[in-house]
Amino acid sequence: MSVTYLEAIREAQAHLLREDKRVFIYGQDISGKFGGAFKATKGLAAEFPNRVLNTPISEDAMVGTAIGAAMEGMRPIVEMQFADFSSVALNQILNNAGTQYWRTNIPCPITVRLPSGGTKGSGPFHSQSMEAIYSHYPGLVVVAPATVEDAYTMLIDAVAIDDPVIYCEHKYLYYHLKADALPKDRLPIGKARVVRPGRDLSIVTYSAMVHEALAVAREFSAGGVEIEVVDLRSVKPLDTDTVLASVARTGRLLCVGESFPWGGATAEIIARVATEGFHLLDAAPARINAKDTPIPYHPNLWSEHRPNAKSIAAKARQILAE
Amino acid sequence: MPQLGESMAEATIVAIKVQPGDKVAADQEIIEVETDKAVMGITTPCPGEIATIDAEVKGIYAVGAVLGYVEASEAEAARFVKNAPEPTTAQVAREVPGREEESAEAQNGSGSHFQVDETSLPQVAAGSHFQVDRAGVLPVPASAKGAGYLSPRVKARMAELQLTQADLAAIQGSGNAGRITIKDLESFLGSLEKQTAEDASAIRTGVADAMRRSWTRPLATVGVSVCLDPVLEDRQKRDPKPGPALYVLRALALALAKTPAAASRLIGGRAIRSESIDIGVAVEAQDGIMVPVIRNADKTSLADLTSRYTELVDLARRRRVTSEMTSGGIASVSNFGTFGLDWGTPIPLPDQTLLLGLGAGKKEPIWSEEKKQFFPATQAKLTLSFDHRSLDGGGAGRLLQHIVELLGKPGKL
Repeated sequence: MSVTYLEAIREAQAHLLREDKRVFIYGQDISGKFGGAFKATKGLAAEFPNRVLNTPISEDAMVGTAIGAAMEGMRPIVEMQFADFSSVALNQILNNAGTQYWRTNIPCPITVRLPSGGTKGSGPFHSQSMEAIYSHYPGLVVVAPATVEDAYTMLIDAVAIDDPVIYCEHKYLYYHLKADALPKDRLPIGKARVVRPGRDLSIVTYSAMVHEALAVAREFSAGGVEIEVVDLRSVKPLDTDTVLASVARTGRLLCVGESFPWGGATAEIIARVATEGFHLLDAAPARINAKDTPIPYHPNLWSEHRPNAKSIAAKARQILAE
Repeated sequence: MPQLGESMAEATIVAIKVQPGDKVAADQEIIEVETDKAVMGITTPCPGEIATIDAEVKGIYAVGAVLGYVEASEAEAARFVKNAPEPTTAQVAREVPGREEESAEAQNGSGSHFQVDETSLPQVAAGSHFQVDRAGVLPVPASAKGAGYLSPRVKARMAELQLTQADLAAIQGSGNAGRITIKDLESFLGSLEKQTAEDASAIRTGVADAMRRSWTRPLATVGVSVCLDPVLEDRQKRDPKPGPALYVLRALALALAKTPAAASRLIGGRAIRSESIDIGVAVEAQDGIMVPVIRNADKTSLADLTSRYTELVDLARRRRVTSEMTSGGIASVSNFGTFGLDWGTPIPLPDQTLLLGLGAGKKEPIWSEEKKQFFPATQAKLTLSFDHRSLDGGGAGRLLQHIVELLGKPGKL
């Protein structure tokens, strides 16, 4: 038996619906036979009647309703069709959900699933990565699983957390990533993972870019250069300790993120390492992000727009030559 | 104003050799300028006619400032347009994610409030001035990663192990432009582990630290021969008998009392001078050198100097010299002649400008112009090391000659 990243998300939701009566899923076209735009809820409506619910096409209303349900003790999961459209619900997520506990002492345990990141030809409205925006605001937890195993355990953990969680699932990984089975062990949210040990350069990244970084690490390993790859797993909270420990081993840092370059997770990592670990750096830290333009439709342009193994390798070579 | 030397930031106009309307050839010297180093000529970049001279004699102009214009043919002007360097922004842009886009946006002026209105900038016709106009901006080095660059990691490791840059001299850096990477440092430290090592004594590390700090200055040494016979004769008449080094110390003290500026220290553009003429004496102790100081050596008789010296040498050899006894000297004397050495280039203490060294006295034939024959004399070399920032060769030479004169009449010391 093998399980894809997408199936892991569906299995995690099935598990949650089975184990916890407070859980329900709220989204556009997720009920009935359709099972959502990416089939992440396929079959769940039949198995769990009245707990997988269709919503109007209003992200604002979807999140607002979920917040109300959470206040009443429920554990709602909101499925956005695309991460891009969650911007319609920014007021509910940032101003209401993010601040609620701090204003009222009533927790807001909602989980918002964001199908994120680029796939070829999807263009500016169906390819964006939103983790930087949500991480900026207090009160939210932002996760971005890079593996089938993390996709499963982190969604279960996200629903268990009393704070609103933004769960960034990568669309490219839906079908491209397979595991033999669902995991038995889990690493808690807030802990990064060293997915490949190395001694020459640390690449700190998350989500789909972990796999690009691993490809680069394998390529360099053939030439005797060992790159350490750190999968952040959760962007917020950010596991600074694991990142600093990695930089302590290698002395060199490259951060890779698929979102836009202005600010964001990669900038935050570099700021923290420069502040807390300046003495660990043997070369200037660097980062690669998508280009600072809207995401292009054309597949060739798209491939150049986001970081890829080729551009990561070029930057890595530059840092290693310092 | 062209960059006429590596360290040149500005220059003073000394002379202007042309007037507007003058025909000039290529590479013709038209303006003379003076920097802190030398007087140099500014030449024309191409043939033409002097259009204007904007500079004035005695005026000080920064590198890149417009001094005047040469009217040139269009062909010449075109040649300069081609040679003008590209603006640096494009290069920077390529290295930083998004920077390219940002700078492109700024150039297009799309929605940027901070766009520079280019029409408000001084417009200079290409090729018609002395230098491509890049005035008004600080030059930015392409990269600061030269051989001497130490990364934060390397610096932190050095601080942890109390290493100085001098300790790293043996490492050939493998990094950019030969810089020492943390791996270079660690493998160097690893290689040391395989060798025999013991802790250096406190006095050794103290000397090492003082010498290293002193060596950060531009030190120079001058030397002269001195006839010691008058001194050797004089000391036979005294009791206790002062050693030749004490005569030298006394002579140095008296010479410095006349020209105390020679011993001044230059700190932050200020010449710092001590009130009293306190002279140190280098004494070899076990595993190092100590330099106890004799206070007011110019006001102390040779007899008193002798007893004080004997006392200090004894204390130094027994390692009983306190830090007060070694501080505050303005110059020191090193009698390396006792090791049979003729001359040396002693290093002044880090807080002193001068160190006077006395070589071994040796019988040498000296030519007498008067008697037209050689006669034997006890000759020794006096070497004076000095911080060249405070003192020049001439000043050091005059001080040395004064000392030689004083040593010629030792009865007066």
